[in-house]
Amino acid sequence: MSRKETPFFVGYLPLPRGLGGFVALVSVALVALFAAAALLIGGTQDAPQDAAFRFDYGRQTVTGVVELTPYPLLRVTEGNDLIPPGKTLMMTAAGKSGVDMRAMGLEGKLAQVSGVVLERGTIDMIQLRGGRRGIQAAEGEAPAMQTEPLGRWRLAGEICDGKCLYGAMRPGRGLAHKACANLCIIGDVPPVFVTTQPVEGQDFMLITGPDGTRLPKEAYDFVGQFVTLEGDLERRGDVLVLRLDTPTIALVDG
Amino acid sequence: MSVKYVPVQWNRSKWVYDGIMLAAVVAFLYLFLYVTPELLSHENPINPQVHNARAFGACAFLMLTVILWIGPLARIDRRFLPLLYNRRHFGVMTTFVAITHAGYILNWYFAFSSSDKYAALLFANTSYGQLAGFPFEAFGIFALVCLVILAVTSHDFWLKFLTPPVWKALHALIYFAYVAVVAHVALGIMQDQQNHTFTVIFIGGALSVAGLHAWAAWHEDRNGDRLGTEEGGWVDICDARKIEEGRAHIKVLPNGERVAVFRHEGKLSAISNACAHQNGPLGEGRIIDCLVTCPWHGFQYDVRTGRSPAPFTEMVPTYTLRLSGNRVQVQVEANPPGTPVDPVEVPA
Amino acid sequence: MTTAEAILTAVTWWGVIGGIVAVVFLGYGIDRIDEDADGAFVFRPLLVPGIVVIWPLVLWRWYCLASGRDHWAHRHRPRRHRHRIFAYAMPIAIVAVIVAGLAVRQSWPDHIAPERLSPPAEDSQ
Repeated sequence: MSRKETPFFVGYLPLPRGLGGFVALVSVALVALFAAAALLIGGTQDAPQDAAFRFDYGRQTVTGVVELTPYPLLRVTEGNDLIPPGKTLMMTAAGKSGVDMRAMGLEGKLAQVSGVVLERGTIDMIQLRGGRRGIQAAEGEAPAMQTEPLGRWRLAGEICDGKCLYGAMRPGRGLAHKACANLCIIGDVPPVFVTTQPVEGQDFMLITGPDGTRLPKEAYDFVGQFVTLEGDLERRGDVLVLRLDTPTIALVDG
Repeated sequence: MSVKYVPVQWNRSKWVYDGIMLAAVVAFLYLFLYVTPELLSHENPINPQVHNARAFGACAFLMLTVILWIGPLARIDRRFLPLLYNRRHFGVMTTFVAITHAGYILNWYFAFSSSDKYAALLFANTSYGQLAGFPFEAFGIFALVCLVILAVTSHDFWLKFLTPPVWKALHALIYFAYVAVVAHVALGIMQDQQNHTFTVIFIGGALSVAGLHAWAAWHEDRNGDRLGTEEGGWVDICDARKIEEGRAHIKVLPNGERVAVFRHEGKLSAISNACAHQNGPLGEGRIIDCLVTCPWHGFQYDVRTGRSPAPFTEMVPTYTLRLSGNRVQVQVEANPPGTPVDPVEVPA
Repeated sequence: MTTAEAILTAVTWWGVIGGIVAVVFLGYGIDRIDEDADGAFVFRPLLVPGIVVIWPLVLWRWYCLASGRDHWAHRHRPRRHRHRIFAYAMPIAIVAVIVAGLAVRQSWPDHIAPERLSPPAEDSQ
C-alpha cells in the first residue's frame, strides 16, 4: 500500500505539502462537472407541446347550446371572429376543476360563456370566469344540435387531461405528469385521448366512460401511458367524443 | 473535537470546503436556471415551475451522487480523505436543494385543485400495482424523508447522544435514499424523455455510484484488516518490529472488534480502532505531536491512555498488550475507555 | 382520499409530540445526560428539527443514559460488516431499478393506425 507516501490530511491543520495540487484539481473538476451537467441536462430538455393559454386574445364571450357528455361542451351558435358559430368548445374552470356543477342545469339550453381560450393548433377549450359571469343561461330558443355517430373504433394513444394538454401546463402529458393529470380528471377537467394518427381529421378527442358516464376509475391507472382502447366515436360539431369501452384498455408493448 | 457544543465548529478547511461545494451548486443552478432557457429557445417554453423543479432535482441527484462517491474513493485512495472531512455540510446542502425541488413540484403539479396539496400528493396517483405509471413520487418522498433525517441529525451532539454505531446505522439510510432516488427518476422523468442526454447522464451517475461501492467493498475484502488468531485470551497481532514509528497495525479480534497497535517512541500501545467521535479507523491515522490522530476528522488521543488531551474529554478503550518473543499480542477484552496501559518496548 | 388524510393526520401528530419532546428534552433533559451541553444554549435550536423527526429514538436514548443502561463498549463497536452488505446490495438494487425502468419504458406507438371496427348502428339519431 502507498500509505507511506500519502500526505496525511488533518482538517484543522494547514493542508500538507503534496496534497494541495490534488485537492485543487479535484475542486476544479467538481465545479466543472456541475457546470457541464447543468448545461447538458438543462440544454437538452424536450420541447413541450405547442400549446398555450391565449390571454393575449383577451376575454372571449360567446353563446351556444350546452351539452353534457357528461363533460360539458358548448356548441357555439353566436360567436365572434375567433370562435365562429358551429365551433364546439370544451369547458373548464380555473385551476384543476371542471364546470360540471355550473353547467348541469343548462343541458340543452342556450348559455352565454365567458373566459380565456387555450390553443393547441386549434381553439377547442375555454377556461370560464368564476360563478355566473363564466356561464349563465341566455335568452332564446336553443336550436337542435346534431350528433353524428361514427361507429366503433380501436385507437392507440394516450389519455391526458385536456387542460394541461392544451397548454395550461407545459409539459402537460406523459408519466412524470400523471399524478397532475389524474388530479385534473378527478376535479372534472375534461379528459382527452390523443391518438397516434388522425381520426376523422382530429388527433385528439374528448374521452368519457360508457353510456354518458365520467371516465371510469379503472382508466386512471392508464393515464399518461401509451394504450390501445376501443369505444364508440361520435362527432359533436368539430369535437369528437369517444365512449370508452373500459375493459378494452391495454398497454402498448415496448 | 468538542468541549462545549456550538452550532458549527468552523475552521479554514471547512470554509474552503463549503465554498467549493457551494460554487459547484451555484454554477449548476445558475447555468440551468438562467442560461439553458436561452439555449432551448422553444416556441412555447417549458413552464418556469417545471424548469426550476428540474434544475433543483437534477442538482440534488448530482450532489447525492458525488456524496456517495466520496466514501469508496477515500477507501480506495486516501488522498480523497479531505472530501470526507466536511461531507455532512454538503449533505445538508443537498437536503435543502431537494426540498426546493419538492416545493416546486408540490406547488405546481399538486396545487390548484380543490384538495389540500399534501393530500393530493398522496391520493392523485394510486397505481401502486404497476411499474410503469407507479406513483414515483412515493420514492421521492421516501428519499426526502431520509435526507431530512440525515440533515437534522448531522450535528455532533447526535453522534455522542445516539452513540456512533447507532448514528452510523441511522445514516446508512443514505443508501436506501439513493436507490429510492434512482427509482424516482427511472420511473418518472426517464419514462418521458425523448432526448437521451439526461438518460445517459442519469444512468452513468447511478452506475458510477454502484460500481465504486462494489469496487471499494471488493478492495477491502482483499486488502482489509485481517482476523487475529487467539490463544488463551491473547490475540497475536504481528511481528513487533514490523510496525513503523508513528503508525499502527490493525487486527480484527475474534469478537469482531478491531484493535490498533501503535508504535510511539520505540514503544507499543494498543487502543480500540474505533474513534469515539464517528468510529473512524484510528489505526489508519498517525501519531502527530505524541497523539494518535484520526484520519477522518482529526480527533486525537494519547496512545498510552486512550484519552484526548485536555480540555477535550473523548476517550477510547485501551488494550493490555505483551510480547511473546518478537510477536506482539493483545488481550481480547478491552479495558474501559481511558484506562492507562504501560507501553511495551519494541525488541531490538 | 381518507387514507391520505389519515397519513397527514398521523404526520401532524408525530410532529406535535416531537415538539413537546423537544421542549422538555432541551429545557430539562439534555443538561443531565451530556456535560458538553451544560451552559451551551446557542446550538440547541439546531436540535429541534432532529428531535421532532426522531423523537422515539430520543426518548429511548434519554432513558438509556438517564437510567445508566448505557454501556461504554457499545460506543466502540462499529458494525463494519453491515457496511459490506450495503456496499454490495446497493449496486445490485441500482442496476435492478434501472433495468426495470428501461424495460417498462414505452415509445409512442405511431405505427398503430386507427381502425374502425364497425359502422354506426342504423337506428341511432
